[in-house]
Amino acid sequence: MKLDKYLDRSLWVFHLNTGSCNGCDIEIVALLTPRYDVERFGIKLVGSPKHADVLLVTGPVNRKMLPRLKLIYEQTPDPKAVIVVGTCGTSGGVFYDSYNVVGPVDRHIPVDVYVPGCPIRPEAIINGVLKAWLKLERLRGFSGAEIEKKIEEVSA
Amino acid sequence: MNIGLLETGSGYWNALIWIIVTVVVGIAVLWLRSKGEEKYKKNTNQTKPFLSGNPEVSKEDSHVGASHIYWGFTEALKKYYEPLVKLHTGDINDYSGWIILMMAIIFIIVGVS
Repeated sequence: MKLDKYLDRSLWVFHLNTGSCNGCDIEIVALLTPRYDVERFGIKLVGSPKHADVLLVTGPVNRKMLPRLKLIYEQTPDPKAVIVVGTCGTSGGVFYDSYNVVGPVDRHIPVDVYVPGCPIRPEAIINGVLKAWLKLERLRGFSGAEIEKKIEEVSA
Repeated sequence: MNIGLLETGSGYWNALIWIIVTVVVGIAVLWLRSKGEEKYKKNTNQTKPFLSGNPEVSKEDSHVGASHIYWGFTEALKKYYEPLVKLHTGDINDYSGWIILMMAIIFIIVGVS
């Protein structure tokens, strides 16, 4: 439920592993620990893409996960942003020529933010999520000036 | 028509209060519903349930039939049921043969005793 555009709800993220080695996934879990604690910003991992604003994808996309990736992307409500976390999802990584890999992710669904790294640092993921947040606000009808103001508020 | 207060000893019941509560709750439900997301894409996967990315199983395949209630029962008595199922071939000649065989055995037993 949205009462008005200035009283927006928090950013909810759905995490999808398309064949990752779990290195990136552990770093994502690290974001929820007291050291980084992204929930203090309202950023929360949710159990269903239907509740999500952002689709966070890890892994190089293997054949088994491809139809699931496409279906979950379709099931994520609009406006949505897609973040690819890790080198595998960005370029295929060390698995780029594997018989079972059909990635990278942007070959199959549109990607908004890339966070490369093997594995990535949690700070890099936070930065990527903030970039996705700005994109979503643009999609939700905020003007460029309003977004600039928000960036100043965040960075102040 | 007399709409009064019914006192039961352990409480009361009034039709007017009941109607007012129903109307108020109904208005609240409709207001909440009107605040829902309208921009979802109709007739796409956005309206289908999320099953960990798996396609939705047809209603027939996902239906839990009444026979499922007896699963434990048939599993426990499998050794008894399986020979019985094999005997039920659906061939009338087999059933007629069983009747003749059983009647012959009964007649022999009756005749001997």
